[in-house]
Amino acid sequence: MEKLVACHGCDLLVDVSELEHGARAYCPRCGHFLTRYRHDMMSRVLAFTIAAIILLVVSLNYPFLSFAASGLESVMTLRAAPGALLDYGMTTLAIMVAAFIILIPACILLLLLVISLSVLSGSPNPWLRASTKLVFELETWAMVEVFIIGVIVSLVKIAAMATVVLGIAFWSYAAFTICFTLAMVTLDRYQCWEMIEALETPKSAEATP
Amino acid sequence: MTGADTAASRGLANCHTCCKLVPVDEHECPRCGSAVHLRSTDSLQRTVALLITASILFIPANIYPIMITEALGTEDISTIIGGVVLLVKLGSIPVALVIFIASVIVPLAKLAAMYYLVWSVANEPHRGHRQRTKLYLTAEFIGKWSMVDVFVVAILVALVHLGGLIVIQPGIAAYSFAGVVLVTMIAAENFDPRLMWDQLDKNNDSDT
Repeated sequence: MEKLVACHGCDLLVDVSELEHGARAYCPRCGHFLTRYRHDMMSRVLAFTIAAIILLVVSLNYPFLSFAASGLESVMTLRAAPGALLDYGMTTLAIMVAAFIILIPACILLLLLVISLSVLSGSPNPWLRASTKLVFELETWAMVEVFIIGVIVSLVKIAAMATVVLGIAFWSYAAFTICFTLAMVTLDRYQCWEMIEALETPKSAEATP
Repeated sequence: MTGADTAASRGLANCHTCCKLVPVDEHECPRCGSAVHLRSTDSLQRTVALLITASILFIPANIYPIMITEALGTEDISTIIGGVVLLVKLGSIPVALVIFIASVIVPLAKLAAMYYLVWSVANEPHRGHRQRTKLYLTAEFIGKWSMVDVFVVAILVALVHLGGLIVIQPGIAAYSFAGVVLVTMIAAENFDPRLMWDQLDKNNDSDT
């Protein structure tokens, strides 16, 4: 059976029904990536999601960076960073940092957990479609990889002023960034929705002769 | 060349959230419940409005200080460019380059690319559809990397609070610059690259 996808770049219809495991489809007209088929996609997503959740929890609870100058020392944890900004009255900055590097990624991970478990166990749940929609809407606003680069730049800037020591949370956040990015890249928009639709329709499809 | 087999030519709209092909007379996607349009409505107008907003915000972002450092009674004010110059003086050329690219080149290049794309839809050049689609995808992808400088300020502010000895505060530019990045991201989301290809399809149809 023909499975058509319309390219998001140029609207051309492309048949993607005969993709082998691991094969990617690109638009023949504009070169835009269309979809990648993997029969074990959801298992991969689940694996990366669980790893990312564990690493995020570690990152939030251990020292991220510690800083020492003129005999005084201060330790920064990721969890306390937005709070520190709030204490200085920098509400906007606090909300942006909390949202882009902690809250939105955490939200996405929990939703991915719900989606992948639901699809893998073959049991649809009433929030499945809403959760999936939300994941794709939030995707653009997670900036974990940008934050890691920001941390490295800050280290260089501050090295002239004081001694900075990287904490466990820095390394786990770096690993979290990798797992989070892999989870998002592995979750193929088209295949994910096809799986959800297949999950919710077979009974009614079989019932009709 | 014959007219291309597009979703629009078959009277189907592509759902942006879940890739389902929906008949154009339906307004809601039956699979994910998102609003479905054949093409984003007023895509160009919205994109241009957001681009102008971002361009205006870019001015205070570069004139005003992004970070104010108070250390032992002396106050040090740095702008975005000032921060790059400081990094060069410290000898960290690679990091200076990262900040210069992320904070100056990327926002300017992205604004220029988006203005050009909007212009190209309005003026219908007959070539380079593929290259322009690539340009759009690149502009969309690199946008959020400009947030680096804002995160740097946030990290330094949160990290450095040594009992009044050293205090770092964000300047107005930190907020305007974050505004530039967020508004250009929304502008890129509002632009519909299919508008460029519609002209090609329209011209091919009139040829045959």
